[in-house]
Amino acid sequence: MKVLPIVCPSCNSHLKVKSLICEQCQTEIQGQYELPSLARLSADDQAFILEFIKASGSLKEMAGLLGLSYPTVRNRLDEIIERIKFAGNPEVNNGGKNR
Amino acid sequence: MTEIPANSETATSKRLSQWLFNPFRFIAGFKALCLGLVIILVSAFVGSLSSTHFDGVLDVHTGAEAPLWFFFAESVIDWLCIVVPLFFFGLIVSRSSFRIIDVLGTQALARWPYLITALVLFPDANRKVLVYLMSQLAQNTPAATIDYIDMSIFAFAMIVTILMAVWMVALMYRGYCVSCNLKGPRAIITFIVGVVGAEILSKFAVLLLADSVKVLP
Repeated sequence: MKVLPIVCPSCNSHLKVKSLICEQCQTEIQGQYELPSLARLSADDQAFILEFIKASGSLKEMAGLLGLSYPTVRNRLDEIIERIKFAGNPEVNNGGKNR
Repeated sequence: MTEIPANSETATSKRLSQWLFNPFRFIAGFKALCLGLVIILVSAFVGSLSSTHFDGVLDVHTGAEAPLWFFFAESVIDWLCIVVPLFFFGLIVSRSSFRIIDVLGTQALARWPYLITALVLFPDANRKVLVYLMSQLAQNTPAATIDYIDMSIFAFAMIVTILMAVWMVALMYRGYCVSCNLKGPRAIITFIVGVVGAEILSKFAVLLLADSVKVLP
C-alpha cells in the first residue's frame, strides 16, 4: 500500500493537495487544498487514533490492547494532541494542560 | 486489531531492556503499586534480619537492632517522602493531567533494586567487616579479626549496593517521567530537587521516629 506523503522530501514543509481525480470518469480537479489535520499526522499516529476511536476513547482499554501502561498510552495521546494543535496553527504556543 | 507499527515493541532484547530500565512503559498504576508495596515490605523484612536500615530515600545503613515494624515504617516513609515532592513538582511543571496512583505505583516499584541490596547485605560477613572497620577507626585493641572471604563478600556487597542505588535512581526518574509525562530539562531539574528534598525529609522523619521509640538506626 502506498503511503501518503505529508512532508516535502526536499525542504520538509507540509505538502498540499494540488490535484484530485475521479477514477470512474477521469474528471480531474486542480487547485490548492490543505490536508486535513489528521491526514497530516504520521501513519503511526493515525493508526493510534484509529485504535483509540475503536476503543471508544478508553485509555484503559487501549493500554490493555497495546500491552502498555495507562500513563504511557495517555502520554502518547497527549503528544498527538500537541501535534494536531501545532498542525492546525503552528503559531499556537500551548501553555495549558491537556484535557 | 490493526498493528500499530511504532508502538509494537516486538524485539525481545529491546523489550527486556525496557523491562529492566523502564518497566513503567508496561506497568503502572494499581498493579505497580501492589507489586511495589510487596517488594518494599519484603525488602524491609530481609533487611531486618541483618539490621539493615533503609533510613532515607537513598540511604542504606547497617545499624542497631529494632522491632520489625520499625523497618517497615522506614521503608514506607522513604517511599512516601519521594512521592510527595515529585507529585507536587508534576502538578506544577507537567502540561498533562496525571494520576497520583501512577506516581505512587511507579515510585513504589522503582525501589525494587533495594530488595537485591537487602539480600546481598544479609550475610554475617558484612557485619563482621563493619565491626572490624569500626574497631580500626576507633583504634580499639584487640581489634576484631576478619578473613579474606568476609572481605570479598563485603566488597561484593558494597559494589552491588552502589549499583542498585544507581539503578533505583534511574528507575525513579523513569517512573517520574512516565507518570507525570515529563521530559528534558524540566524533568531533570525537578527530579534532582525532588530527590534532594525527599532525602532530607525522609532522614528527618526516620530520625524523629527512631527518637520517639528510642531506636538508633
